[in-house]
Amino acid sequence: MSQDAVARPAARAAVSDTGVRWRLAERPFVWLAPLALLLVVTYVYPAIDVIRYSFTDATLLNPQYAYTADSYRSVATNPDLPGILWVTLLFVVASVILQLVLGLLVAMVLHRGVKRRLPGVAAVRIIILSAWIVPGVAAGIVWQLMFNEASYGFLNAMLRGAGISPVAWLSDPDIALWSAVIANVWRGTAFSMLLLYAGLVVIPSSLYEAASVDGATPLKQFWYITLPQLRPILLINTVLISIFTLNTFDLILPLTGGGPGRATEVLALYTYNAVFRNFDLSSGAVLAVLLLAISVVFTLIYVRLLPREL
Amino acid sequence: MTTLGRTRLADVGTYVAFGVICLFFAGPLLWLVSLSIRTSAEIYVSSINLWPNNPTLENYVAALNNPLFPTYLWNGLKLAVGGAFGAIFFAAPAAYALSRFRFRNKQLAMIGLLAVQMISPLVIMVPLYRYMDRIGLTDSHVGAMMLYIAIAAPLFTWMLKGFLDGIPRSLEEAAMIDGCTRFGAFMRVVLPLSLPGLTSAFVLNAILGWSQFIIPFILISKPNLLPIAVGIFNFQGTYSQTSTQTLAAASVISIVPAVVVFLVLQRFIIGALMSGAVKG
Amino acid sequence: MKKLFPSTLLAGTVLAGFVATAGAQELVTTDRVGSPDAPNVLTMRANPNQSTNSPSPEQKAAFEKVWQEFAEAHPDWQIQFEFFGQDIGGEHARLLEQARAGRAPDCVTVDSFQLALFIDNGVLKPLDDYFSQEEIDDLFPFIREGVTGPDGSIYAWWWGTDLRVLYRNTEIVPEAPQTWEELQAAALKATESGIEGVLFNGGRWEGTTFDWLANFWAQGGSLVDDSGKPIFGEGENREKMLTAINYFKGLVDSGAAPKRVATIKDYNDFNAAAIAGSAAMFFGGHWQHFQLMEAMPEAEFAKWDVSELPGPSADERSTGTGGWTVAAFSDDPAKVEMCANVMREVYMGPANEVIGDLPTRESLFASLPKFQDPYFGKLKEYLVNGHARPGVPIYPEISNQIQIMMGEVLSGTKEPEAALDGAWNRVMDAYGKL
Repeated sequence: MSQDAVARPAARAAVSDTGVRWRLAERPFVWLAPLALLLVVTYVYPAIDVIRYSFTDATLLNPQYAYTADSYRSVATNPDLPGILWVTLLFVVASVILQLVLGLLVAMVLHRGVKRRLPGVAAVRIIILSAWIVPGVAAGIVWQLMFNEASYGFLNAMLRGAGISPVAWLSDPDIALWSAVIANVWRGTAFSMLLLYAGLVVIPSSLYEAASVDGATPLKQFWYITLPQLRPILLINTVLISIFTLNTFDLILPLTGGGPGRATEVLALYTYNAVFRNFDLSSGAVLAVLLLAISVVFTLIYVRLLPREL
Repeated sequence: MTTLGRTRLADVGTYVAFGVICLFFAGPLLWLVSLSIRTSAEIYVSSINLWPNNPTLENYVAALNNPLFPTYLWNGLKLAVGGAFGAIFFAAPAAYALSRFRFRNKQLAMIGLLAVQMISPLVIMVPLYRYMDRIGLTDSHVGAMMLYIAIAAPLFTWMLKGFLDGIPRSLEEAAMIDGCTRFGAFMRVVLPLSLPGLTSAFVLNAILGWSQFIIPFILISKPNLLPIAVGIFNFQGTYSQTSTQTLAAASVISIVPAVVVFLVLQRFIIGALMSGAVKG
Repeated sequence: MKKLFPSTLLAGTVLAGFVATAGAQELVTTDRVGSPDAPNVLTMRANPNQSTNSPSPEQKAAFEKVWQEFAEAHPDWQIQFEFFGQDIGGEHARLLEQARAGRAPDCVTVDSFQLALFIDNGVLKPLDDYFSQEEIDDLFPFIREGVTGPDGSIYAWWWGTDLRVLYRNTEIVPEAPQTWEELQAAALKATESGIEGVLFNGGRWEGTTFDWLANFWAQGGSLVDDSGKPIFGEGENREKMLTAINYFKGLVDSGAAPKRVATIKDYNDFNAAAIAGSAAMFFGGHWQHFQLMEAMPEAEFAKWDVSELPGPSADERSTGTGGWTVAAFSDDPAKVEMCANVMREVYMGPANEVIGDLPTRESLFASLPKFQDPYFGKLKEYLVNGHARPGVPIYPEISNQIQIMMGEVLSGTKEPEAALDGAWNRVMDAYGKL
């Protein structure tokens, strides 16, 4: 709780009541307390409870439980886990990369459109945003019909029209996951787009002007100005969408249900199934802890990359 | 090539990009709209044609005639807007502290916030239900709103902190020299200046709240309290009924209020950003 | 902050435009039955299909009529509704959790295959006082067994059932296949004209397990023993499982069924294919007859017929029967009684007429007008071979593992033996933890 950078104003001389309040206001803790309290009550407490459950043999069926570490052993030796983690990794990494790249591209195109006051920019933004707002179940149904491999499936009908042989979008276990990624990217890009757009807007245009004068090509400007300026927002964006994607299952559930077999069963869906299909609260809790641990690792990696000065 | 020519060419490129973007993002949406104006007989028949043979608005009538539907929309709006609005009260002071004070473990606090953000409601759903049930906050908007606020607050804080960093300190310092307390300066100088940042964080979090599924699914079972993200499921029949077209119509309508709110605020954000840029 | 206000106001105005004008004293609304001033309140959670919140306008209107009569007959009561979402498995888990906390609704529609969970957990109230022995004896035997607890009391009223049948386009397949072999031959022949031979559920959902199990049951197989312990992976049951898996695998490998069956997890897909004329046969639910009738031009619909699911031989037949029950969770005897009234006056009979789910009582089948249609006469014959899913707590996990197994086999990632053993080991692991 050391020095504050702001110069001490003269008001400090004020006495008694005001003085106490004034000194309190100089403590960052006071400003942070409401948020901390809220998060502890709503999040941290139940999260600790999850960790507690993970050391029990609790099920939804039986109110009695005993403490044990068996649940960890059984999850660790679960033969399905490596496959599920692999599917999760592919799903998350592919979704995050695509959402970042696409989100940045769209944001840059939109930014240019706004700067040039090109008509139609608002419409494009609304379209992308709508994809984000569509309820998960509706998105699942629409994409299921798009990917449908029957004669009336939309994508395959288009392919056939173009003389390309149809694709087994959802029935081929190797392709189904990529189909899920496409649907997820469709829905998730708007978030990255919004964050990155906000980041682009605040880059001072003087930087670009100076670069132009120096004769830097647009590509160079992008590499030496846009990307470095966006770095903090890119990082936080990456962390957030990684976490969102890691915990997503409301789109996959209507799209494939995790099938065929386990081809699209990501860790979040597996956790949901453990609790709501098997009523296995303790394994569900262990998986939840695992989800949490993965997120922590993700975040630590990003934090290493964050600029020192926050 | 002249500069003007190059700009023109770039404009064309921009529009080409718009076209590609729209194709990917609007395609499935058009599909949804197309489904919503079909009769149940036509749901699957002419799927390749976007425009059905016998377009109908009956599905919209059916969705709107369900008296619960407006309730779902209203609840969704209330929870999303309330959650994002409530988050301001927790996020703004915290963001201020993180932006203006220097203190030990500040980096830790920032990361701690991220760490909380990482706890998905999926992870804590069962204990959360049991705990909220014990304190009597299931089937209540107060309980749900509390969680909406808690989910929005960390991200809100991060976004706002970034924005506050860009506001020069000289203004609030001047106010404090004039006799304002720090809190007064925060309220009267910093908050008004950060309105654009507040608004964009608000919009983002309100929309995230709008699509929040797990929290209301776990905590609320009374239909008159459900938000649209969960209530929409009631438009999907179980296996013995074909109601894809009604669900599609309900989905299309459910997008509208969120888009309207966004449109209104978006204009405001851009305006604010632009005036800020002119001044800066 | 002031500037936020107009937008909220605007959104509110948009919403207000949607608000339908509702009469103040209607007896039946989407989520309430009875006068809002009635002193006694019964909370009821229902599958939307089985309520006045039905997504089908016709059935919604029909249910409103039935509930209207109920409300008039019980003026002192109002019923406040809650609804199930579409993830039935998750909904029942949540219901159980709420029942534990003493917060379940008073009266709930429970899926028949999940009923055992609730009976075993002691959260349901016995209903023997509200139904006569005669009525109970009138239930089909498998139905009666399903609602009877270990103590011999009945704990729910199972009011409607469904069954699986083979649909075929008689123009392409004139004779109903009676055996697996005949079915495959007929399907292969149909594919020669460039359409799909036979379709069935093979995706990741309950229907895949349920529809396919008929082939296991037709051979006399059992999933669990009398104590509820899984036995399907051992001895002759294992052989029967493999035979049934190989039957489906053979359909896909030979091309009689398209590979995309591994993605089908919705009965509506069959309707779609039938309407589009792109498939010759499918294994479907009996209710699809009415959906096809509504959705197809008359001349097209006339080409379609249903027959009993083929068996390994013409004499070994089975079909899965499911359906819904109503159960009472309340501690208040007056509410339990009102819930029993709901079962009797709304669901036992009237709801069958509305939805077309088969009555579970011999005498109702004979007396309800709707079921005098020759179509139902045929179904009643098939019902003799009806087989319900075992009402045991491990069933949801067995089903989950069978769905995974089916996906692995049909998509060719695993051989039947390996897939079955995988499913068996996981089920036994889960059983050990229950």
